[in-house]
Amino acid sequence: MSMVTVTVGLIFLVLCPVLFMVQMSLRTGLEAFRMPPTFPFTPTLQNYSALLEDKFVRSLVNSVVTSTSTTALALLLGVPAAYAFSRGRVRATGLLSLWTLATRMAPPIAFGIPFFLLYKDLGLIDTRLGLVVIYLTFNLSLVIWMMRAFFDGVPRSLEEAAYIDGAGVTRAFLSIALPLSAPGLATTAIFTFLLSWNDFFYSLLLTRSAAVTAPVAIVNFMNYESWEWGKVASAATVIMLPVVALSIVVRKYLVRGLTAGAVRG
Amino acid sequence: MTERLARVTASEQTTPVTGELASHPIARGTRRSWRRTRRLTFGALVAPAVTVLFVVTILPLLYLVGTSFTPLDLTNPASLRWAGVANYRQLAGDDRFWNSVWVQAQLSFWTVSLQLLIGFGIALLLNGRMRFLELVRSTFIVPMVLPPVVVALIWKILFTPDISILDWTLGLLHLPQPAWLADPRLALWAVIIADVWEWFPFVMLLLLAALQMLPEEPLEAARLDGASSWQAFRHVTLPLLRPALIVAALFRLIDSVKAFPHIFIMTGGGPGTATEVTNFYAYLEGFSYTYVGYSSSIIVVMLVVTLLMSLAVLRLSSREIEVE
Repeated sequence: MSMVTVTVGLIFLVLCPVLFMVQMSLRTGLEAFRMPPTFPFTPTLQNYSALLEDKFVRSLVNSVVTSTSTTALALLLGVPAAYAFSRGRVRATGLLSLWTLATRMAPPIAFGIPFFLLYKDLGLIDTRLGLVVIYLTFNLSLVIWMMRAFFDGVPRSLEEAAYIDGAGVTRAFLSIALPLSAPGLATTAIFTFLLSWNDFFYSLLLTRSAAVTAPVAIVNFMNYESWEWGKVASAATVIMLPVVALSIVVRKYLVRGLTAGAVRG
Repeated sequence: MTERLARVTASEQTTPVTGELASHPIARGTRRSWRRTRRLTFGALVAPAVTVLFVVTILPLLYLVGTSFTPLDLTNPASLRWAGVANYRQLAGDDRFWNSVWVQAQLSFWTVSLQLLIGFGIALLLNGRMRFLELVRSTFIVPMVLPPVVVALIWKILFTPDISILDWTLGLLHLPQPAWLADPRLALWAVIIADVWEWFPFVMLLLLAALQMLPEEPLEAARLDGASSWQAFRHVTLPLLRPALIVAALFRLIDSVKAFPHIFIMTGGGPGTATEVTNFYAYLEGFSYTYVGYSSSIIVVMLVVTLLMSLAVLRLSSREIEVE
């Protein structure tokens, strides 16, 4: 067997479960369960159009809004801090590293319990704002960690030149370092967006109906509408597509992002 | 690698600039105040993020530790009162807790071992085949970037008899077609299989990157000394990959303790308590039975263990393994 066959075989094997679900989402109710699946078949978007008339659309909007807002907020707070950690002689790298790791590694329920109790008193249960804030627990330290590495990669000479020309730290940051690390900024933004988009636990714990995000809404298909597999498969496909597309964009940085805190890029 | 180079060059360039400024007679006075402004600006850039981080991470964790010393029940707000270590004492004698630790240990052991084995194996197989690297990287990342809910749903479908191609294939091969998720001996394996599929690519990609960073010389030298390819692998490649292997294993180990969506969707912790890991047991105690105080004490114990593992990661990876 040649290497090509082995590689292609492996790729097929790895993707098989996903492909099975996607083809299931393109079949009508009964046909989806006929074993073995018949090929070729006429794909139908029936399940998807059923989704459009469902509350699922609302949860999808919630997902987009919360993930985008928390990404913007985390970047706004984290990027300047990352710049200072990279350029200023802040002796907190070890602490930052431990903090990043610890917040990434703590089981979500560790933050879930105190936030739940607090939100109950503040009336923030089932609000998008509540989700945006709790997502900062994992987003913010990730932004600082990743952006600091990107800033470290930008040569300082241009900023030093700007200092001689009388520019302050803020101007050197905004007009030199930031534009030069634009690709890093995009990568970091995609990462925080994906982590928030993929969240299941916090949304399950802290939302009920109004602010429910798409991953939890799918599970509700299972509970109340007694297993509509076609609908479940198509909804899962919908929330999976942007993730796969964006991940392929940032694939080179994926391992780095997932080991944030421990591994220097 | 290029980044590290850039960092070195950047710090070298700092010195001549400062020297030039310092030698400038008029600049000396203003330089001190300029430095102060600079330090203050850096402080102002860091302050908001650190404040928010403190408020959203440290304070809640302190509050969690606080509630772990109370018998807090969600249905009774008056139960928020000091009870000392009562929860921890109860925990020590709670069979269901110890069962959850055992389930967690099995889940962690099998997922981490299988992911390392499969991930390392495929990384070695694909190493050096540059032509396919981009394609492989793009496809193998799919399982691990999928929303965990989607992974859980995919495998819930695959492990449900009658509607699953897995079930049909087993039948075709005249193998038993078990009801995976309803069988106490198989349910945990269903969860393990889903997790291995999702995360072996992480190990694979990390090791593939580490393999490409390996220096040529030691292998070259071993070959010149007449080492067989197995000897070269065993005594040169493997020791060089050790840090990467350890980091991969520890990251997977720590993540395996967070297992939640798979169990919530695929098995609900059952049948019985067959797949009830500690994290999931804490969730049930807190939000199904409303004993948040007791649930907090379980989580505090988990956090201490997690923190120790994080320190281990830092210590073991302090030699700075490189990715990309």
